[in-house]
Amino acid sequence: MRLAAAELVDSREILPGQWLQAYHAPDLAVGSRAGQFIHIRTGDFSGMVLRRPFSINTADPATGIVTIHFRVIGRGTEWFTRLRPGDRIDLLGPLGRPFEVDPRSRHLLLVAGGLGIAGVRMLADEAIRGGRRVTLLFGAASAREIYPSTLLPDEVEYVVATDDGSLGHHGFVTELVPDYEAWADQAFACGPAPMLAALARLAAGRRERLGVAKLGRRRGGGRTDPVGSPAARRKAFLQVSMEQNMGCAVGACLGCVVMSTSGTPQRVCREGPVFAADEIAWEGGW
Amino acid sequence: MTGPGRPTGTVRARPASELRLSAARATAAAPVRPAAAAGARGAAQARPAPVEIRAADVDLTVDLGRGLVLPNPIMVASGTFGYGVEYGEVVDVNRLGGICCKGTTLEPRIGNPTPRVTETPGGMLNSIGLQNPGVDAVIERYAAAWATWRAPVLVNVAGESVRDYVEVTRRLDGVPGVAGIELNISCPNVGKGGFQFAIDAGAAGEVTAAVRRVTDLPLLVKLSPNVADIRPIARAIADAGADALTAINTLSGIAVAPGRSRPLLGNIYGGLSGPALKPVALRIVYEAAQVVKIPVIAIGGVTELADVLDFLAVGAVAVQVGTAIFADPTLPVRLADELAAECGRNGLTTYRDLIGTARPARAGQPSVKGVEYRP
Repeated sequence: MRLAAAELVDSREILPGQWLQAYHAPDLAVGSRAGQFIHIRTGDFSGMVLRRPFSINTADPATGIVTIHFRVIGRGTEWFTRLRPGDRIDLLGPLGRPFEVDPRSRHLLLVAGGLGIAGVRMLADEAIRGGRRVTLLFGAASAREIYPSTLLPDEVEYVVATDDGSLGHHGFVTELVPDYEAWADQAFACGPAPMLAALARLAAGRRERLGVAKLGRRRGGGRTDPVGSPAARRKAFLQVSMEQNMGCAVGACLGCVVMSTSGTPQRVCREGPVFAADEIAWEGGW
Repeated sequence: MTGPGRPTGTVRARPASELRLSAARATAAAPVRPAAAAGARGAAQARPAPVEIRAADVDLTVDLGRGLVLPNPIMVASGTFGYGVEYGEVVDVNRLGGICCKGTTLEPRIGNPTPRVTETPGGMLNSIGLQNPGVDAVIERYAAAWATWRAPVLVNVAGESVRDYVEVTRRLDGVPGVAGIELNISCPNVGKGGFQFAIDAGAAGEVTAAVRRVTDLPLLVKLSPNVADIRPIARAIADAGADALTAINTLSGIAVAPGRSRPLLGNIYGGLSGPALKPVALRIVYEAAQVVKIPVIAIGGVTELADVLDFLAVGAVAVQVGTAIFADPTLPVRLADELAAECGRNGLTTYRDLIGTARPARAGQPSVKGVEYRP
């Protein structure tokens, strides 16, 4: 984690109201992992007192380019769209804990709902570099909000679902997941909370359904790793990237918590944003 | 502040030296050494070209009594800086004037439902709900690190009964690394029907006195702005033996969720902080500083040096930076440097000459002036 200046290189509206911006931030491009995020300051210091958190959408160590992908939802995101190439921003990062891929996992299932694509996009790059097979299930309201396949690595198997049936599967993206349950070694998801909760329910019974517990060697050889540790997350079938209103993004203000199954609120910015699905109390619990 | 050529310079210079007396009287903790006073007076006389002083030679220390000396008057406010460790290498804690840690209670608390924070025009609302691991865990996890820091760490203490406050303080008393207590009395007093201690002079004085009896640690008490008149409350707290006041806590407010079917925050109510709060904080510091002899530490929307100077002018001896840290974590350290440079440029050997320059020449009127608008 460090403060750094980054220069805007490219800014495009890739979908209605959705922007992809590329910044030159060499240290960040080298030092960050899929699942981590950055906290960017807006230029309007008096009116907007909080930084804005963005998933690191892609990071290219070779060129030093880091991209973010966001929807314009308020004055802060609108401010970002007015930046021009050459403008500099102040960012803090990389922040949070990344996705943990088990070294033995060959088939990764990525599930993204809408803007959630920004949360898992970089994992596709990392996985393909690691020689893994990647299937991306993407859900959106309609065909006009489908993430352009040209922005994905060629190796990714891309399957889409739309709420209105205008493209691909007619229904929620979560309905596609059972087809891949047996194929996938691990799944990684980012999107609206109800989508993640539904995925967590699907994932919960997987081990029993597939007989993994009986037939396969138990992952980790029966050792138990502390809940929330990278080792424990690495063994989880489903990891989710959570979203929450955020203040400081370093763990100081306790603004961005989610309730955990242990009964202690966990900070999205520090213990997360990536959690094993079974760490989260999906019904809340306050 | 006392810049040359400004028409108010002459007017200000004299009250400033008078004020040094009143400041010394009002804040026994911040006496002005004769040498410093003479230097400042000399500078005032040679107004066209104040003798510049190296920033490094400007005295920024703040003596709050009971052995608590802040290295500079720029502290970080409770709830915005965690336990001091979270910002890691981004902020050099040893250059801060002091650290007020996250609100700490006797038992662990899970806090309020989410969402807990949202941005508002010129500020933010938060309703964390005092999530913390409990005083014993706080001591165990952090006190050892605090003991190695140059910046004093004050533990912000919260509770729901006088007994809670007393017990938490007892456990903090004598712990190496704990430099003082900041009482957060903006908590519901469960024993008294859930009214906040902070809105009642009797309850505020009672909890302050009870804590005072069990510790010799420097004791700061944080005022709430959610009151009609701060003066009787400030007086009650000072009379009960507090060493300093901090003002102000957040102002109660709400935000509406997108879709407008409910309030946004999980707790409905949140506390407003940030630049939007500054005028309110200025007013309360101005009022409180006139009625108590103990130092007042200002909090509320500090985002630049001008804000620090404003709070000093209305009588604060130090300021806390809160919400602005989220956007600019290095701001507090930079403000301390800028304050020293500002003093140096104006030929001041101590920042204390900036304290109280905007206070009324005579002691303020008694509390006939309420908070309502008066034409």
